Amino acid sequence: MGEWIRFWIVAVILTAGILCFVLETVGIFRFGYVLNRMHAAGIGDTMGLLLIVLSLMIASGWSFDTGKLLLLIIFMWLTSPTSTHFLSMVEINTNPDIGSHVRKMRTDPDQDRGSV
Amino acid sequence: MSVETAYQYLYLGALIVLGILMGCMLIRSIIGPRITDRILCINMIGTLVICTIAILSRRQEEGYLVDISLIYAMISLLTVLILTSVYNRKRPDQDAGGTASAPDGAQPGSSEEESHG
Amino acid sequence: MKETFRSWINGETDPIEELLDSWEESDPDREERKSLSKERIRTFMEQPGELSAVRQIRNRYTRIYYIVAVLSCIFLSVVLLYTVSLMPGLGKVNPRATEVSDRYIEKGVEETGAVNAVAGMILDYRAFDTLGESHVLFTALICVMILLRIDRKNQRTGYEDYYTIRNDIYYDLSGDPILRTMGRALLPCILIYGIYILLNGQNSPGGGFSGGAVIGAGLILFSAAFGMKAADRFLNMKTCSVITFVSLAFYSFAKGYVFFIGANGLENPIPKGTPGAIFSGGMILPLDIAVGCVVSITMFGFYSLFRRGSIGMDVNYDSFSKKERKAGGEET
Repeated sequence: MGEWIRFWIVAVILTAGILCFVLETVGIFRFGYVLNRMHAAGIGDTMGLLLIVLSLMIASGWSFDTGKLLLLIIFMWLTSPTSTHFLSMVEINTNPDIGSHVRKMRTDPDQDRGSV
Repeated sequence: MSVETAYQYLYLGALIVLGILMGCMLIRSIIGPRITDRILCINMIGTLVICTIAILSRRQEEGYLVDISLIYAMISLLTVLILTSVYNRKRPDQDAGGTASAPDGAQPGSSEEESHG
Repeated sequence: MKETFRSWINGETDPIEELLDSWEESDPDREERKSLSKERIRTFMEQPGELSAVRQIRNRYTRIYYIVAVLSCIFLSVVLLYTVSLMPGLGKVNPRATEVSDRYIEKGVEETGAVNAVAGMILDYRAFDTLGESHVLFTALICVMILLRIDRKNQRTGYEDYYTIRNDIYYDLSGDPILRTMGRALLPCILIYGIYILLNGQNSPGGGFSGGAVIGAGLILFSAAFGMKAADRFLNMKTCSVITFVSLAFYSFAKGYVFFIGANGLENPIPKGTPGAIFSGGMILPLDIAVGCVVSITMFGFYSLFRRGSIGMDVNYDSFSKKERKAGGEET
């Protein structure tokens, strides 16, 4: 009986993680611009991975593999924001008509200096 | 139905869904209008593959497969980093105070042309 | 003869320089031809009918290109999936290839002392094959070096431009605080993990190739996060060649004699140890380390050569830059 309870917990969390990835894919197809698509991509990178790996940790019980899976979560949570940061940097630096997608936050630097 | 078979079916279903999502990402990376779209989709495929390998390690009861997914995570980070450093160029119309970290005129093509002439 | 050889080793002269056709100097009318082709392109672009026809053809072929690309992707994935479906399942008996693998599985641990059957196979039974693989990597590195290396012979700019191009031919990520923080947190873990894979190759999956790849990726990440100058402090051309040469020479001496003796080689002086311990498997651990060194240096060398045309700064860089400056001054 206990095994079955554990199985259902695993199933629910795993399905939630897969749903996160499905949502991410839908978002990547539905959004119109890269910087918007990154929001959708972030769902899978953080929540989806967390839920799937968490379910696997519950399924595997307390063993050496659990530590490795925890390491995987920490690793991905450190690396995927970094890569997203660089991607947005590339987009802003290379897109010639970025102004039509993004509102410019910083005004003319001379005016800034004058106001300060 | 025993618990083991139930686990097997669960993992199998998850793997199939992840495979379909990977195909969708591939399509998006083909039709993605800009280069960043493509790099983003490749990054997402990397995440999906990492999850797939983690599930596979549970399905086959082989703990060392998690090591492979760790390595894959690092390689996917490196992919994005190197592609970024290749494709990141300053816009021609950018004003001088635009981004602080952009290089000043580090365009290899122009400098090479100068050196030829 | 000796003098010539020494100066060749030091990189001062090239004995076959006259034999090679240096097209830059022996081609005085190159500029002329360049301007001529530019002129031809300009006149071609000015004709309206021609240009639209070219555009039409190009559009048509672009569409065909897309279709062929998608079809070949689908074909390739179908072929690969079919191949996977032909493979025997995990733990199933494969009737085609059991004769050799039976021997490996039954007597592998006893004969090689390695729990990981793959490590025992590639570094003991088939060590000569792996020797060839590491030499292939070394040869690839040499070829890339021949094609891409920037040194005093083929550099075309002065000192300052040279330095700039070398360091900033691509966008330099090392000024980014986010990447630096992440690198400071992750790099020690990555390198230790690579060394763990490398040293534990005979007991768990991994070994020289994968451990070396992880270490090489860690080195690439280091040079991306902290700048090429930081990587230059411990890896330049000289250290790279010394490490690669020592590893390959060690491997060749340790296993190359099998080629002449045949069969199983001589009796191994290193004891096999208890299977499962770190120091087990006889020669497998040192060979793993040698292969790992070669693989990691190759990976980092590829990255560094493609990125800026050299591995580290040249050893005697300062002296030759002064020479260049003097020469430039005399010309002007």
